[in-house]
Amino acid sequence: MPNKALLKIEDLKVKANHQEILRGINLKIEKKQIQAILGPNGSGKSVLCQTILGNPKYKIVHGKIIFQEKNINKLPPEKRVKLGLALSWQNPPSLRGIKLVDLLKKISQEKTKIEEGKHLLNRQVNLDFSGGEKKISELLQLLSLKPKLVIFDEIDSGLDLEKIKKIAKIIKKEFVDRGISLLIITHNGEILKFLKPQLTNVMIKGKIVCQQKNFQKVLKTIKKYGYEKCQECLS
Amino acid sequence: MVMKNAKSVYLDKKKIKSFEEIKQKEISFFQRDNQIEKILSNKDILILPSSLAWQKYSWTKKFFEKKPKEGYFIWLKKQINFPLFICLGIYSPQKKQNLNNLLVIEKNVKVKVITNCYSQKSNLKASHQAKGKIILKEKSQLNYHHFHYWHSGDKVSSDYKFILKNNSSLSYSYKNFSSPKELLLKNLVYLEKDASTDLKITTQAEKSEMKIIDSIILAGENSQGILKLRLVGKKDSQIENQSEITAKKQSKGHLDCQGLLVEKRSEISTTPKLVCQSKEAQLTHEASIGKVSEEELNYLRQRGFKESEAINLIVNGFLQNDL
Repeated sequence: MPNKALLKIEDLKVKANHQEILRGINLKIEKKQIQAILGPNGSGKSVLCQTILGNPKYKIVHGKIIFQEKNINKLPPEKRVKLGLALSWQNPPSLRGIKLVDLLKKISQEKTKIEEGKHLLNRQVNLDFSGGEKKISELLQLLSLKPKLVIFDEIDSGLDLEKIKKIAKIIKKEFVDRGISLLIITHNGEILKFLKPQLTNVMIKGKIVCQQKNFQKVLKTIKKYGYEKCQECLS
Repeated sequence: MVMKNAKSVYLDKKKIKSFEEIKQKEISFFQRDNQIEKILSNKDILILPSSLAWQKYSWTKKFFEKKPKEGYFIWLKKQINFPLFICLGIYSPQKKQNLNNLLVIEKNVKVKVITNCYSQKSNLKASHQAKGKIILKEKSQLNYHHFHYWHSGDKVSSDYKFILKNNSSLSYSYKNFSSPKELLLKNLVYLEKDASTDLKITTQAEKSEMKIIDSIILAGENSQGILKLRLVGKKDSQIENQSEITAKKQSKGHLDCQGLLVEKRSEISTTPKLVCQSKEAQLTHEASIGKVSEEELNYLRQRGFKESEAINLIVNGFLQNDL
Protein backbone atom coordinates (compact mmCIF):
# COMPACT_ATOMS: atom_id res chain seq x y z
CA MET A 1 0.00 0.00 0.00
CA PRO A 2 1.51 3.38 -0.93
CA ASN A 3 2.33 5.83 1.89
CA LYS A 4 -0.14 8.62 2.34
CA ALA A 5 1.31 12.00 1.37
CA LEU A 6 2.22 14.29 4.23
CA LEU A 7 2.16 17.27 1.92
CA LYS A 8 0.35 17.34 -1.38
CA ILE A 9 0.32 20.31 -3.70
CA GLU A 10 -2.13 20.24 -6.58
CA ASP A 11 -1.88 22.50 -9.61
CA LEU A 12 -0.85 25.46 -7.47
CA LYS A 13 -0.91 28.88 -9.15
CA VAL A 14 0.24 31.87 -7.16
CA LYS A 15 0.36 35.59 -7.83
CA ALA A 16 2.28 38.40 -6.18
CA ASN A 17 1.74 42.01 -7.20
CA HIS A 18 -0.66 40.84 -9.93
CA GLN A 19 2.05 38.75 -11.53
CA GLU A 20 1.79 34.98 -11.81
CA ILE A 21 4.88 33.42 -10.23
CA LEU A 22 3.88 29.80 -9.67
CA ARG A 23 2.20 28.36 -12.73
CA GLY A 24 0.78 25.00 -11.74
CA ILE A 25 2.96 23.22 -9.18
CA ASN A 26 2.32 19.58 -8.35
CA LEU A 27 4.28 17.98 -5.52
CA LYS A 28 3.82 15.14 -3.09
CA ILE A 29 6.00 14.50 -0.03
CA GLU A 30 5.60 11.41 2.10
CA LYS A 31 6.37 10.85 5.76
CA LYS A 32 10.10 10.45 6.49
CA GLN A 33 10.88 11.33 2.88
CA ILE A 34 13.61 13.71 1.75
CA GLN A 35 12.94 15.63 -1.44
CA ALA A 36 14.82 18.41 -3.13
CA ILE A 37 13.91 21.20 -5.49
CA LEU A 38 16.65 22.61 -7.67
CA GLY A 39 16.17 25.65 -9.78
CA PRO A 40 17.81 28.80 -11.10
CA ASN A 41 17.38 32.19 -9.45
CA GLY A 42 13.92 33.62 -10.00
CA SER A 43 12.29 30.28 -10.76
CA GLY A 44 9.86 30.72 -7.85
CA LYS A 45 11.43 28.37 -5.29
CA SER A 46 11.25 30.81 -2.37
CA VAL A 47 7.73 31.87 -3.36
CA LEU A 48 6.71 28.23 -3.19
CA CYS A 49 8.18 27.91 0.34
CA GLN A 50 6.52 31.08 1.54
CA THR A 51 3.19 30.09 0.00
CA ILE A 52 3.27 26.70 1.69
CA LEU A 53 3.82 28.48 5.02
CA GLY A 54 1.05 31.01 4.33
CA ASN A 55 2.86 34.30 3.74
CA PRO A 56 -0.07 36.67 3.00
CA LYS A 57 2.01 38.47 0.38
CA TYR A 58 1.41 35.58 -2.01
CA LYS A 59 -2.13 34.91 -3.28
CA ILE A 60 -3.22 31.45 -4.29
CA VAL A 61 -5.32 31.87 -7.43
CA HIS A 62 -5.73 28.17 -8.21
CA GLY A 63 -4.95 24.78 -6.71
CA LYS A 64 -4.63 23.29 -3.26
CA ILE A 65 -2.05 22.79 -0.55
CA ILE A 66 -2.98 19.73 1.47
CA PHE A 67 -1.09 18.89 4.67
CA GLN A 68 -1.98 15.72 6.53
CA GLU A 69 -5.08 15.41 4.36
CA LYS A 70 -6.29 18.89 5.29
CA ASN A 71 -6.61 21.75 2.82
CA ILE A 72 -4.55 24.51 4.41
CA ASN A 73 -5.00 27.15 1.68
CA LYS A 74 -6.80 29.50 4.03
CA LEU A 75 -4.94 28.81 7.26
CA PRO A 76 -2.78 31.61 8.72
CA PRO A 77 0.96 30.88 9.05
CA GLU A 78 0.85 30.18 12.80
CA LYS A 79 -1.80 27.48 12.37
CA ARG A 80 0.20 25.79 9.62
CA VAL A 81 3.17 25.77 11.98
CA LYS A 82 1.07 24.22 14.73
CA LEU A 83 0.11 21.44 12.28
CA GLY A 84 3.78 20.62 11.81
CA LEU A 85 5.09 22.71 8.90
CA ALA A 86 8.28 24.68 9.32
CA LEU A 87 10.45 26.78 7.05
CA SER A 88 14.07 27.76 7.38
CA TRP A 89 14.43 31.18 5.74
CA GLN A 90 17.10 31.95 3.23
CA ASN A 91 17.53 35.52 4.52
CA PRO A 92 15.87 35.75 7.92
CA PRO A 93 15.26 39.28 9.23
CA SER A 94 17.03 40.68 12.31
CA LEU A 95 14.82 41.05 15.36
CA ARG A 96 16.15 43.99 17.32
CA GLY A 97 15.80 43.79 21.07
CA ILE A 98 14.83 40.10 21.02
CA LYS A 99 17.44 37.65 22.26
CA LEU A 100 17.55 34.27 20.59
CA VAL A 101 17.28 32.51 23.95
CA ASP A 102 14.07 34.41 24.75
CA LEU A 103 12.56 33.68 21.35
CA LEU A 104 13.31 29.98 21.74
CA LYS A 105 11.70 29.99 25.19
CA LYS A 106 8.59 31.61 23.79
CA ILE A 107 8.40 29.09 20.95
CA SER A 108 8.73 26.13 23.28
CA GLN A 109 9.24 25.51 26.99
CA GLU A 110 11.54 22.61 26.19
CA LYS A 111 15.19 23.46 25.76
CA THR A 112 16.73 22.78 22.40
CA LYS A 113 20.40 22.16 22.13
CA ILE A 114 22.81 22.51 19.28
CA GLU A 115 26.36 22.86 20.54
CA GLU A 116 27.25 25.21 17.69
CA GLY A 117 24.49 27.65 18.68
CA LYS A 118 25.44 28.22 22.32
CA HIS A 119 27.25 31.48 21.71
CA LEU A 120 24.28 32.92 19.81
CA LEU A 121 21.71 32.53 22.56
CA ASN A 122 22.29 35.84 24.29
CA ARG A 123 22.52 37.83 21.09
CA GLN A 124 19.64 39.58 19.34
CA VAL A 125 18.10 37.29 16.73
CA ASN A 126 20.05 37.45 13.48
CA LEU A 127 21.53 40.85 14.28
CA ASP A 128 25.08 40.95 12.92
CA PHE A 129 25.03 37.15 12.55
CA SER A 130 27.31 35.67 9.92
CA GLY A 131 25.75 33.57 7.16
CA GLY A 132 26.57 30.36 9.03
CA GLU A 133 25.27 31.72 12.35
CA LYS A 134 21.94 32.59 10.73
CA LYS A 135 21.58 29.02 9.55
CA ILE A 136 22.29 27.68 13.04
CA SER A 137 19.79 30.12 14.52
CA GLU A 138 17.20 28.90 12.01
CA LEU A 139 17.90 25.27 12.92
CA LEU A 140 17.50 26.01 16.64
CA GLN A 141 14.16 27.68 16.04
CA LEU A 142 12.92 24.88 13.81
CA LEU A 143 13.85 22.29 16.40
CA SER A 144 11.80 24.15 19.01
CA LEU A 145 8.79 23.99 16.70
CA LYS A 146 8.80 20.19 16.66
CA PRO A 147 7.88 19.96 13.00
CA LYS A 148 6.73 17.05 10.86
CA LEU A 149 7.98 18.55 7.62
CA VAL A 150 10.80 21.06 7.35
CA ILE A 151 11.45 23.12 4.26
CA PHE A 152 14.98 24.44 3.95
CA ASP A 153 15.13 27.44 1.66
CA GLU A 154 18.71 27.67 0.36
CA ILE A 155 20.24 26.57 3.65
CA ASP A 156 23.50 26.00 1.77
CA SER A 157 23.68 29.44 0.13
CA GLY A 158 26.72 31.52 0.96
CA LEU A 159 28.44 28.73 2.88
CA ASP A 160 31.71 27.03 2.07
CA LEU A 161 31.83 23.26 1.67
CA GLU A 162 33.00 22.65 5.25
CA LYS A 163 30.11 24.64 6.67
CA ILE A 164 27.61 22.94 4.36
CA LYS A 165 28.91 19.60 5.60
CA LYS A 166 28.50 20.75 9.22
CA ILE A 167 24.94 22.00 8.64
CA ALA A 168 24.02 18.80 6.80
CA LYS A 169 25.34 16.76 9.73
CA ILE A 170 23.12 18.66 12.16
CA ILE A 171 20.10 18.29 9.85
CA LYS A 172 20.70 14.57 9.59
CA LYS A 173 21.06 14.09 13.34
CA GLU A 174 18.25 16.40 14.48
CA PHE A 175 15.68 15.91 11.72
CA VAL A 176 16.32 12.97 9.40
CA ASP A 177 17.17 10.51 12.18
CA ARG A 178 13.99 11.54 13.98
CA GLY A 179 11.85 10.71 10.97
CA ILE A 180 11.05 14.30 10.01
CA SER A 181 10.35 14.83 6.30
CA LEU A 182 12.48 17.35 4.45
CA LEU A 183 12.07 19.50 1.39
CA ILE A 184 15.43 20.97 0.47
CA ILE A 185 15.36 23.96 -1.83
CA THR A 186 18.73 24.65 -3.35
CA HIS A 187 20.32 26.53 -6.17
CA ASN A 188 23.69 24.83 -6.42
CA GLY A 189 22.76 21.46 -4.88
CA GLU A 190 25.95 21.00 -2.84
CA ILE A 191 24.05 19.99 0.30
CA LEU A 192 22.29 17.14 -1.53
CA LYS A 193 25.52 15.18 -1.58
CA PHE A 194 25.30 14.93 2.21
CA LEU A 195 21.54 14.52 2.64
CA LYS A 196 20.84 12.29 -0.36
CA PRO A 197 17.21 13.03 -1.28
CA GLN A 198 15.01 10.23 -2.48
CA LEU A 199 13.41 12.46 -5.09
CA THR A 200 14.79 15.55 -6.80
CA ASN A 201 12.64 18.09 -8.63
CA VAL A 202 13.77 20.78 -11.02
CA MET A 203 11.79 24.00 -11.07
CA ILE A 204 11.91 26.47 -13.93
CA LYS A 205 9.74 29.55 -14.38
CA GLY A 206 7.22 28.55 -11.73
CA LYS A 207 6.80 24.95 -12.84
CA ILE A 208 8.33 21.64 -11.83
CA VAL A 209 9.71 20.33 -15.09
CA CYS A 210 11.57 17.26 -13.97
CA GLN A 211 11.50 14.64 -11.20
CA GLN A 212 14.35 12.20 -10.74
CA LYS A 213 15.15 9.58 -8.13
CA ASN A 214 18.84 9.90 -8.81
CA PHE A 215 19.89 13.31 -7.52
CA GLN A 216 23.43 12.81 -8.74
CA LYS A 217 22.18 12.52 -12.30
CA VAL A 218 20.30 15.83 -11.96
CA LEU A 219 23.30 17.56 -10.42
CA LYS A 220 25.59 16.19 -13.10
CA THR A 221 23.32 17.41 -15.90
CA ILE A 222 22.94 20.86 -14.39
CA LYS A 223 26.68 21.10 -13.77
CA LYS A 224 27.42 20.10 -17.34
CA TYR A 225 24.72 21.96 -19.25
CA GLY A 226 23.33 24.46 -16.73
CA TYR A 227 19.65 25.05 -16.21
CA GLU A 228 19.35 25.89 -19.92
CA LYS A 229 19.14 22.18 -20.61
CA CYS A 230 16.12 21.97 -18.29
CA GLN A 231 14.50 24.75 -20.29
CA GLU A 232 14.29 22.30 -23.17
CA CYS A 233 12.11 19.99 -21.08
CA LEU A 234 9.86 22.95 -20.37
CA SER A 235 9.46 23.74 -24.05
CA MET B 1 1.41 51.05 59.36
CA VAL B 2 2.00 48.76 56.42
CA MET B 3 -0.77 48.65 53.89
CA LYS B 4 -1.56 45.20 52.58
CA ASN B 5 -3.34 46.71 49.61
CA ALA B 6 -0.21 48.46 48.54
CA LYS B 7 1.74 45.22 48.38
CA SER B 8 -0.99 43.43 46.51
CA VAL B 9 -0.65 45.95 43.71
CA TYR B 10 2.94 44.90 43.26
CA LEU B 11 2.35 41.24 43.60
CA ASP B 12 -0.09 41.40 40.71
CA LYS B 13 2.77 42.52 38.49
CA LYS B 14 5.04 39.56 38.99
CA LYS B 15 6.57 39.95 35.58
CA ILE B 16 8.27 43.16 36.57
CA LYS B 17 11.57 42.66 38.32
CA SER B 18 11.28 45.73 40.48
CA PHE B 19 8.06 44.40 41.97
CA GLU B 20 9.78 41.18 42.85
CA GLU B 21 12.27 43.19 44.84
CA ILE B 22 9.49 45.03 46.63
CA LYS B 23 8.27 41.79 48.11
CA GLN B 24 11.44 41.61 50.17
CA LYS B 25 12.03 45.25 50.85
CA GLU B 26 10.09 47.80 52.77
CA ILE B 27 8.12 50.51 51.06
CA SER B 28 9.68 53.85 51.92
CA PHE B 29 6.77 56.16 51.16
CA PHE B 30 3.23 55.21 50.32
CA GLN B 31 0.43 57.62 49.55
CA ARG B 32 -3.05 56.28 48.89
CA ASP B 33 -5.33 58.86 47.27
CA ASN B 34 -4.55 61.96 49.39
CA GLN B 35 -3.55 60.11 52.51
CA ILE B 36 -0.01 59.15 53.49
CA GLU B 37 -0.19 55.55 54.65
CA LYS B 38 3.43 54.80 55.39
CA ILE B 39 6.71 56.58 55.89
CA LEU B 40 9.91 54.72 56.53
CA SER B 41 11.97 55.82 59.48
CA ASN B 42 15.69 55.17 59.47
CA LYS B 43 18.62 56.95 61.05
CA ASP B 44 20.38 57.57 57.75
CA ILE B 45 17.39 58.86 55.88
CA LEU B 46 14.72 61.41 56.63
CA ILE B 47 11.33 61.14 54.98
CA LEU B 48 8.59 63.65 55.72
CA PRO B 49 5.44 64.96 54.08
CA SER B 50 6.46 67.96 51.96
CA SER B 51 4.27 70.28 54.00
CA LEU B 52 6.08 69.35 57.19
CA ALA B 53 9.50 69.74 55.56
CA TRP B 54 8.49 73.25 54.49
CA GLN B 55 7.78 74.11 58.14
CA LYS B 56 10.74 72.32 59.73
CA TYR B 57 13.54 73.04 57.28
CA SER B 58 13.53 76.54 55.91
CA TRP B 59 16.23 75.68 53.37
CA THR B 60 13.74 73.46 51.54
CA LYS B 61 11.64 76.53 50.69
CA LYS B 62 13.95 77.49 47.82
CA PHE B 63 13.18 74.14 46.18
CA PHE B 64 9.41 74.23 46.59
CA GLU B 65 7.87 76.94 44.43
CA LYS B 66 5.09 77.44 46.97
CA LYS B 67 3.96 75.89 50.20
CA PRO B 68 3.29 72.27 49.35
CA LYS B 69 0.09 70.50 50.33
CA GLU B 70 0.96 66.98 49.32
CA GLY B 71 4.03 65.00 48.44
CA TYR B 72 7.21 63.70 49.97
CA PHE B 73 10.49 65.12 51.15
CA ILE B 74 13.33 62.61 51.22
CA TRP B 75 16.72 63.55 52.55
CA LEU B 76 19.37 60.94 52.10
CA LYS B 77 22.06 61.95 54.52
CA LYS B 78 24.16 58.82 54.52
CA GLN B 79 24.70 55.74 52.43
CA ILE B 80 21.90 53.18 52.75
CA ASN B 81 22.10 49.58 51.64
CA PHE B 82 18.58 49.13 50.28
CA PRO B 83 16.56 50.73 47.49
CA LEU B 84 13.83 53.24 48.19
CA PHE B 85 10.34 52.37 47.03
CA ILE B 86 7.90 55.19 46.57
CA CYS B 87 4.28 54.38 45.82
CA LEU B 88 1.74 56.93 44.77
CA GLY B 89 -1.59 55.29 44.11
CA ILE B 90 -5.13 56.34 43.42
CA TYR B 91 -7.76 53.94 44.69
CA SER B 92 -10.98 55.96 44.82
CA PRO B 93 -13.02 57.57 42.02
CA GLN B 94 -12.21 61.09 40.82
CA LYS B 95 -9.38 61.65 43.29
CA LYS B 96 -6.84 64.33 42.52
CA GLN B 97 -3.27 64.13 43.70
CA ASN B 98 -1.28 67.33 43.56
CA LEU B 99 2.17 66.43 44.73
CA ASN B 100 5.24 68.51 45.37
CA ASN B 101 8.21 66.26 45.94
CA LEU B 102 11.78 66.90 46.93
CA LEU B 103 14.60 64.38 47.03
CA VAL B 104 18.00 65.48 48.28
CA ILE B 105 20.97 63.14 48.05
CA GLU B 106 24.00 64.16 50.07
CA LYS B 107 27.62 63.99 48.93
CA ASN B 108 29.03 60.58 47.99
CA VAL B 109 25.72 58.79 48.60
CA LYS B 110 24.64 56.19 46.06
CA VAL B 111 21.02 55.16 45.92
CA LYS B 112 18.44 53.34 43.85
CA VAL B 113 14.92 54.73 43.83
CA ILE B 114 11.86 53.03 42.39
CA THR B 115 8.74 55.10 42.05
CA ASN B 116 5.41 53.60 41.09
CA CYS B 117 2.50 55.83 40.17
CA TYR B 118 -0.80 54.16 39.38
CA SER B 119 -4.54 54.01 39.50
CA GLN B 120 -5.69 50.77 41.06
CA LYS B 121 -8.45 50.06 38.53
CA SER B 122 -10.22 51.51 35.52
CA ASN B 123 -13.08 54.05 35.65
CA LEU B 124 -11.55 55.95 38.55
CA LYS B 125 -10.92 59.02 36.38
CA ALA B 126 -7.86 59.71 38.46
CA SER B 127 -5.87 62.92 38.29
CA HIS B 128 -2.22 62.74 39.25
CA GLN B 129 -0.02 65.80 39.13
CA ALA B 130 3.49 65.46 40.41
CA LYS B 131 6.05 68.21 40.48
CA GLY B 132 9.43 67.67 41.94
CA LYS B 133 13.06 68.53 42.36
CA ILE B 134 15.81 66.03 42.79
CA ILE B 135 19.13 67.33 44.00
CA LEU B 136 22.25 65.24 43.62
CA LYS B 137 25.13 66.68 45.60
CA GLU B 138 28.81 66.21 44.74
CA LYS B 139 29.84 62.68 43.80
CA SER B 140 26.43 61.24 44.56
CA GLN B 141 24.76 58.67 42.32
CA LEU B 142 21.10 58.09 41.67
CA ASN B 143 19.63 55.15 39.81
CA TYR B 144 16.00 56.14 39.37
CA HIS B 145 13.24 53.91 37.96
CA HIS B 146 9.95 55.59 37.32
CA PHE B 147 7.00 53.34 36.47
CA HIS B 148 3.48 54.34 35.46
CA TYR B 149 0.37 52.17 35.46
CA TRP B 150 -2.70 54.16 34.49
CA HIS B 151 -6.10 53.59 32.96
CA SER B 152 -7.80 55.14 29.97
CA GLY B 153 -9.82 57.74 31.93
CA ASP B 154 -6.88 59.09 33.95
CA LYS B 155 -5.05 62.38 33.52
CA VAL B 156 -1.41 62.49 34.51
CA SER B 157 1.25 65.15 34.67
CA SER B 158 4.80 64.56 35.86
CA ASP B 159 7.25 67.44 35.93
CA TYR B 160 10.69 66.87 37.43
CA LYS B 161 13.88 68.88 37.60
CA PHE B 162 17.12 67.13 38.40
CA ILE B 163 20.06 69.21 39.59
CA LEU B 164 23.35 67.38 39.29
CA LYS B 165 26.20 68.92 41.23
CA ASN B 166 29.87 68.33 40.39
CA ASN B 167 30.81 64.74 39.66
CA SER B 168 27.37 63.35 40.39
CA SER B 169 25.56 60.95 38.11
CA LEU B 170 21.96 60.13 37.31
CA SER B 171 20.62 57.09 35.54
CA TYR B 172 16.90 57.61 34.94
CA SER B 173 14.47 55.26 33.26
CA TYR B 174 10.79 55.87 32.73
CA LYS B 175 8.42 53.20 31.57
CA ASN B 176 4.66 53.13 31.29
CA PHE B 177 2.91 49.79 31.34
CA SER B 178 -0.55 51.12 30.56
CA SER B 179 -1.42 54.58 29.37
CA PRO B 180 -3.69 57.26 30.80
CA LYS B 181 -6.05 59.36 28.70
CA GLU B 182 -3.63 62.27 28.92
CA LEU B 183 0.00 62.33 29.92
CA LEU B 184 2.38 65.22 30.22
CA LEU B 185 5.87 64.02 31.05
CA LYS B 186 8.51 66.69 31.62
CA ASN B 187 12.07 66.12 32.70
CA LEU B 188 14.83 68.67 32.92
CA VAL B 189 18.34 67.69 33.91
CA TYR B 190 20.85 70.38 34.79
CA LEU B 191 24.45 69.17 34.95
CA GLU B 192 27.39 70.88 36.59
CA LYS B 193 31.08 70.04 36.15
CA ASP B 194 31.93 66.38 35.47
CA ALA B 195 28.34 65.31 36.07
CA SER B 196 26.72 62.74 33.83
CA THR B 197 23.27 61.48 33.02
CA ASP B 198 21.67 58.70 31.08
CA LEU B 199 17.92 59.09 30.49
CA LYS B 200 15.80 56.32 29.02
CA ILE B 201 12.17 56.91 28.31
CA THR B 202 9.99 54.15 26.93
CA THR B 203 6.32 54.66 26.47
CA GLN B 204 3.40 52.99 24.78
CA ALA B 205 0.30 55.01 24.03
CA GLU B 206 -3.11 53.46 23.50
CA LYS B 207 -6.28 55.59 23.45
CA SER B 208 -4.03 58.27 24.82
CA GLU B 209 -2.57 61.69 24.15
CA MET B 210 0.96 62.12 25.36
CA LYS B 211 3.31 65.03 25.45
CA ILE B 212 6.88 64.25 26.39
CA ILE B 213 9.28 67.13 26.91
CA ASP B 214 12.87 66.49 27.93
CA SER B 215 15.80 68.82 28.34
CA ILE B 216 19.37 68.22 29.27
CA ILE B 217 21.47 71.27 30.07
CA LEU B 218 25.18 70.56 30.00
CA ALA B 219 26.24 73.56 32.07
CA GLY B 220 29.49 72.28 33.51
CA GLU B 221 32.76 71.34 31.89
CA ASN B 222 33.13 67.67 30.97
CA SER B 223 29.50 67.01 31.67
CA GLN B 224 27.84 64.29 29.63
CA GLY B 225 24.26 63.50 28.79
CA ILE B 226 22.53 60.76 26.82
CA LEU B 227 18.82 60.81 26.18
CA LYS B 228 17.11 57.82 24.58
CA LEU B 229 13.42 57.63 23.79
CA ARG B 230 11.42 54.70 22.48
CA LEU B 231 7.86 55.67 21.65
CA VAL B 232 5.17 53.26 20.55
CA GLY B 233 1.89 54.50 19.09
CA LYS B 234 -0.90 51.97 19.43
CA LYS B 235 -4.61 52.36 18.70
CA ASP B 236 -6.08 55.89 18.82
CA SER B 237 -3.02 57.55 20.17
CA GLN B 238 -1.00 60.67 19.72
CA ILE B 239 2.52 61.20 21.02
CA GLU B 240 4.23 64.54 20.76
CA ASN B 241 7.84 64.67 21.80
CA GLN B 242 10.23 67.58 22.17
CA SER B 243 13.74 66.78 23.29
CA GLU B 244 16.55 69.20 23.68
CA ILE B 245 20.18 69.12 24.69
CA THR B 246 21.98 72.38 25.38
CA ALA B 247 25.75 72.52 25.79
CA LYS B 248 27.08 75.57 27.58
CA LYS B 249 30.63 74.33 28.16
CA GLN B 250 32.94 71.66 26.84
CA SER B 251 30.70 68.61 27.08
CA LYS B 252 29.18 65.70 25.21
CA GLY B 253 25.54 64.97 24.50
CA HIS B 254 23.61 62.47 22.44
CA LEU B 255 19.91 62.30 21.70
CA ASP B 256 18.35 59.18 20.26
CA CYS B 257 14.63 59.14 19.56
CA GLN B 258 12.87 56.25 17.83
CA GLY B 259 9.17 55.83 17.25
CA LEU B 260 7.16 52.83 16.17
CA LEU B 261 3.62 53.14 14.84
CA VAL B 262 1.66 49.98 15.39
CA GLU B 263 -1.85 51.05 14.41
CA LYS B 264 -3.16 53.21 11.60
CA ARG B 265 -5.01 55.62 13.87
CA SER B 266 -1.94 56.77 15.72
CA GLU B 267 0.52 59.60 15.36
CA ILE B 268 3.99 60.28 16.66
CA SER B 269 5.81 63.53 16.21
CA THR B 270 9.27 64.17 17.48
CA THR B 271 11.37 67.32 17.51
CA PRO B 272 14.97 66.82 18.51
CA LYS B 273 16.86 70.01 19.21
CA LEU B 274 20.54 70.57 19.87
CA VAL B 275 21.82 73.90 21.14
CA CYS B 276 25.57 74.32 21.24
CA GLN B 277 27.03 77.32 23.02
CA SER B 278 30.60 76.08 23.21
CA LYS B 279 32.92 75.24 20.36
CA GLU B 280 34.40 72.49 22.54
CA ALA B 281 31.10 70.69 22.93
CA GLN B 282 30.01 67.72 20.88
CA LEU B 283 26.30 67.10 20.37
CA THR B 284 24.73 64.47 18.17
CA HIS B 285 21.27 63.14 17.53
CA GLU B 286 19.40 60.46 15.63
CA ALA B 287 15.68 60.14 15.15
CA SER B 288 13.41 57.81 13.24
CA ILE B 289 9.77 56.77 13.14
CA GLY B 290 8.66 53.62 11.39
CA LYS B 291 5.99 50.97 11.28
CA VAL B 292 6.06 47.26 12.13
CA SER B 293 7.98 45.42 9.44
CA GLU B 294 5.82 43.00 7.43
CA GLU B 295 8.82 40.73 7.01
CA GLU B 296 9.48 40.49 10.75
CA LEU B 297 5.79 39.97 11.41
CA ASN B 298 5.56 37.14 8.90
CA TYR B 299 8.76 35.59 10.20
CA LEU B 300 7.42 35.46 13.74
CA ARG B 301 4.05 34.13 12.59
CA GLN B 302 5.99 31.34 10.91
CA ARG B 303 7.47 30.63 14.31
CA GLY B 304 3.99 29.91 15.60
CA PHE B 305 2.95 33.28 17.04
CA LYS B 306 -0.44 34.84 16.39
CA GLU B 307 -0.35 38.21 14.65
CA SER B 308 -1.06 40.07 17.92
CA GLU B 309 1.61 38.07 19.77
CA ALA B 310 4.13 38.75 17.01
CA ILE B 311 3.39 42.49 17.17
CA ASN B 312 3.86 42.46 20.95
CA LEU B 313 7.21 40.73 20.56
CA ILE B 314 8.34 43.29 17.99
CA VAL B 315 7.13 46.18 20.17
CA ASN B 316 8.86 44.82 23.27
CA GLY B 317 12.04 44.27 21.30
CA PHE B 318 11.83 47.82 20.00
CA LEU B 319 11.35 49.22 23.50
CA GLN B 320 14.38 47.37 24.79
CA ASN B 321 16.58 47.96 21.79
CA ASP B 322 19.84 49.71 22.67
CA LEU B 323 18.58 50.73 26.08
